[in-house]
Amino acid sequence: MALMFQSDVVQYVCTCGQLKPISLMYFCRHCLKLRCGYCVCHEVDSHYCSNCLEILPSAEARLKKHRCQTCFDCPNCLNTLAVRATTVSVRDPDDPNKVNSLKKYYHSCFFCRWTTRDVGLPDQAVQTVSANGWSQKGESNIQRINVLLEYVRLLGMQERHEREQREKKFTPRSRRTFTHHPGLTAAHVRKRAGLPPELPAPSTIRDNLAEFQPAVAKEEVASLPESIFTEELDIDQVTTLTQRLAQPETQPESIVDLIPSCKHLCTKRSQRCRGCEHNVSKPDLNPSSIKFKIQHAASFHVPEVRLVSVQPLIGSKECEIVIVFSNPSQQPTTISFITLEEAEAEAQEHTEVTPDTSVPQGEAPPSLSSLTRSPPVMEEPRPVSIAVTGDVNLPTADVEIVLAPKDDAAEYDDSSDTQQFHDDPQIVVHRRANKASLRLTVIPHADKAGQNCTIGFGFRYTYINRISTPASASFEPQKVQLSSRTFLNCGKIKESQ
Amino acid sequence: MSSQASHESKSKSDLKISDQALVCHESKLRGDITIGPNTIVHPRATIIAEAGPIIIGASNIIEEQAYIINRLRPGADPSIVQVMEIGSNNVFEVDCVFESSMMGNQNVLEVKSHVGPGVEISDGCIIGAGCKLNGNERLPEKSVIYGSDCARRIAMDKPPHPSLQIDYLTKILVKYHHLKKPRSAN
Ligand SMILES: [Zn+2]
Ligand SMILES: [Zn+2]
Ligand SMILES: [Zn+2]
Ligand SMILES: [Zn+2]
Ligand SMILES: [Zn+2]
Repeated sequence: MALMFQSDVVQYVCTCGQLKPISLMYFCRHCLKLRCGYCVCHEVDSHYCSNCLEILPSAEARLKKHRCQTCFDCPNCLNTLAVRATTVSVRDPDDPNKVNSLKKYYHSCFFCRWTTRDVGLPDQAVQTVSANGWSQKGESNIQRINVLLEYVRLLGMQERHEREQREKKFTPRSRRTFTHHPGLTAAHVRKRAGLPPELPAPSTIRDNLAEFQPAVAKEEVASLPESIFTEELDIDQVTTLTQRLAQPETQPESIVDLIPSCKHLCTKRSQRCRGCEHNVSKPDLNPSSIKFKIQHAASFHVPEVRLVSVQPLIGSKECEIVIVFSNPSQQPTTISFITLEEAEAEAQEHTEVTPDTSVPQGEAPPSLSSLTRSPPVMEEPRPVSIAVTGDVNLPTADVEIVLAPKDDAAEYDDSSDTQQFHDDPQIVVHRRANKASLRLTVIPHADKAGQNCTIGFGFRYTYINRISTPASASFEPQKVQLSSRTFLNCGKIKESQ
Repeated sequence: MSSQASHESKSKSDLKISDQALVCHESKLRGDITIGPNTIVHPRATIIAEAGPIIIGASNIIEEQAYIINRLRPGADPSIVQVMEIGSNNVFEVDCVFESSMMGNQNVLEVKSHVGPGVEISDGCIIGAGCKLNGNERLPEKSVIYGSDCARRIAMDKPPHPSLQIDYLTKILVKYHHLKKPRSAN
């Protein structure tokens, strides 16, 4: 995948100013903007165990410390442990001459062949052992860890309290009046609004925080065991740092003290556009499904640029590169080139316009969520931090290249239909289905020999907006013109002779 | 067993397959090779005795694309016969490479593992999938090499005996493959 989309060769500029390959970006169909992992809101939809695929509600997951109670990780290599069955013969307690065979279960790692028998854990009579089946040996840090967790939780509460106090002054009236809605308790409103439950009084939080005992540095430390001076150290018996930190409760020093730890849960997350709060990606809830309910990857909407070939790049000499544009949408799109500056100006203009169009005022029924959620975050896009080390001669902005719609069946169709496009053969060198190869000339900067030649350009493309806004009752797809900025890494610049 | 066979004559007559061994016809065997009873050589496995004879013991499984070679070391005197000995109950999984001259019993070379010429393998060792060993050493008994960093540990038990798998394969392979005729070592 990374290779297919040339992840470090062609990078698009996200609305937030990040540079990303198109395969790692989303496209919001409402704001008509590119979004990347840094400028979407990530929400945890569900917790599940990647081994037994059980879904846990988030409250239960938190209660169980985000671990599955029936699956275990190998303490040695941290992969999943498998259950193995064996039969053992046990002498019948009533009749000493009779031998019963019993099924017993133990856990074993397929990767490093660690087994629960290695550390002397007894075989289990049932297939699903609970975590408590293996008791913690010796002293454990669990008490202290719980105290620390509680402390951090209180700190979080205090912080939230302060923030809410601050925000109260700026809360829009609509929300405040809503909390006094008859028939709804305050807690109920908070819950429906997706807000965390009411906090305890700040004085109680402060009192509880005061009870906390901080760690005290000791002058005297426990002396080393005698054996460390007399016995030869077997490095194979000592745990690695990774193994130790995987078991924070005990942090065993010797591999004989390793015990299986409950498997960490995985999450399914959905991504929400920061500008308009619509989902750009939402996975299927079922853990065994890899499908998405909503998946607006940028590569489904935005024309994709790939670098096909580059002539040797020599400082301040003209050299040819061939790039291919492909249209991922079901409608034809028209592409024209603009400079980076023009594209940046257009992007800024677009940012200023969107808030009005995306959240139509007064028209939409005031749903509870739109009233109580925090208003969309509007951020200044950061300047793009990439140094351009080559100039590119772009076709003029009036040169329009029409890309045919993507047709999945066209791949199997060999007939070429290039006649219907009136292309300048100097620019368009090849066409096939929804793709067009274009020839551009690049002049690498002479003083950048030895470095990678990075060129940048902007392009406009037409996009069919199929989203109906509640404002416009009569809906028909709108043709809009969008622009995007890309940076291409064309390879090393050679020394000019 | 006529161990005096010089390695220069790489004719097929140097091949000695035990009566109970099961060697598929599509396997590639070159040079002086002795295959012990109950050993199974899958189709497309390669065994090449270049620098000297290869002696394979009983009840081994050599899977598809496995590559066992007694390679002529660069700079070594070609007149010195260097024998590769493989014990019993070893499993060579798909696409593993074994170049060492010595392997004990009940070892497993997992998929795409690689054992270089300088690594002697004792008994009950497991070379994990994709692990490469290229040094000069003798692996202690029950060593387990695993993971992308070739981490090591010593296991409690040896890997399970491949006998069940051998029983199954002896029944199934003969139905679908031609075998190389056994030629007893006399
Ligand atoms: Zn949006
Ligand atoms: Zn972004
Ligand atoms: Zn589980
Ligand atoms: Zn393991
Ligand atoms: Zn929206």
